[in-house]
Amino acid sequence: MPMTDTVPPPALLPAVARGDIASFEALFDRYSGTLYALLLRILGNPEDAQEVLQETFVKVWTNAKMFDAVRGSEVAWLISIARSRGIDKLRSRRIRVDRENDAGREISIHSSFVEKTTGADEAIRSEERIAVRGALAELPEAQRVALELAYFEGLSQSEIAERLGEPLGTVKTRMQLGMKKLRDRLRAFQP
Amino acid sequence: MTHQDYESIAALDAVGAASVEEERMLRDHLATCAACRTARDEFGEAAAMLAREAEPVAPPPDVRDRILAAVEADDAGDDAEVVDIESRRKMPWWLATAAMLFLALWGWREVGIRVSREKLRSQRAEIERLQAEVDALNLQKEKISGAMSAIASSGTRTIQLTGAQAAPTASARVFLDEKKQRAFVFFYDLPANANDKSYQLWILRADQSKPQSAGVFDATKDGTASVTVENLPLATEIKGLAVTLEPKGGGEQPSNADFYVMGNT
Repeated sequence: MPMTDTVPPPALLPAVARGDIASFEALFDRYSGTLYALLLRILGNPEDAQEVLQETFVKVWTNAKMFDAVRGSEVAWLISIARSRGIDKLRSRRIRVDRENDAGREISIHSSFVEKTTGADEAIRSEERIAVRGALAELPEAQRVALELAYFEGLSQSEIAERLGEPLGTVKTRMQLGMKKLRDRLRAFQP
Repeated sequence: MTHQDYESIAALDAVGAASVEEERMLRDHLATCAACRTARDEFGEAAAMLAREAEPVAPPPDVRDRILAAVEADDAGDDAEVVDIESRRKMPWWLATAAMLFLALWGWREVGIRVSREKLRSQRAEIERLQAEVDALNLQKEKISGAMSAIASSGTRTIQLTGAQAAPTASARVFLDEKKQRAFVFFYDLPANANDKSYQLWILRADQSKPQSAGVFDATKDGTASVTVENLPLATEIKGLAVTLEPKGGGEQPSNADFYVMGNT
């Protein structure tokens, strides 16, 4: 069953690749909230997150022509750039955020900057988030934790195994199963 | 490895959890497998779902302003310029100044080294040229010393050659060292030869009907010239000496009978 029937907004990156500033501004307005939230979660503080967000969008402006719609969605491409830069920043500063200790701060950051925009884009994204949350909620906790340690903290297989106190093979299997479930759910509502 | 194995690696790679070796194997495989490339893209899309779960958070307005200022400065969309803007923005002023000063000093040093190297190369070439000149002068000195000692030797015979029909006023003096079978010949009042002509000295032999070449030479503007002849035949085999004007470089036999200088030994 499809997770949503909403038609995604038209891609902006092709116009950005042609040097269209207005499209770039629209791209920023459409996705900066998602990327900033991701970077806040990865880096744990607004200063670092803003710096990497800026780096991310400058990179998007210069590399927009490298986006290939056949390979994936616009938002996934942007997220991959932001996540990669965020993890690089995290590793370079040797920050390992303790999720439990930082949970309160993260919530306060969210509450102070929560996006207030309305309109079609926001409605679509809200529906997408509900669908995504539904898909992630279906993952067993162990799989989800392993994936989040890799994705948000940039830990290697062996680091995750050490953190969780589990054999390396078990951790790899959990992550592979989790990703395959996410992919299968995604296939159900991809345009 | 099977496609399923590569698909499993692609799943890990999408969340950055593949090992370096797994990443390498996957990259190599993806270069030739469209199906696994599709799987890789799907996992990339799925990984992005992890980021999209959170409620969006609007960044402060000045972040938007800074980003737009940076990209608007890049009118032509030049990647290098944008990178430059980005790096300038991130670099403190004192570090940028220090970097520029360092680059300037480095450039000055490089120029200095190049100039010194060029100067050294030029000096070496001059030394080599002067050394070659010294070698040539030493060789000339040895020849002159040899000629002087031969001329001064009591065993050296002096022979006078006189001008012939082509140059009646010309003359030559031959210092013949019979023991060493060597001769030094000095010419006087010879007409200057044309550029396409050479004088050629011939030995008129007693034992042979044909003359033997003893060397080619050019006369100077004042009509003088000198020739050193080595490996002369035995004195008894030499009947006389003669000079003709030949095409440039001389020939095996005289091309004409117009003698400039000649005489019997």
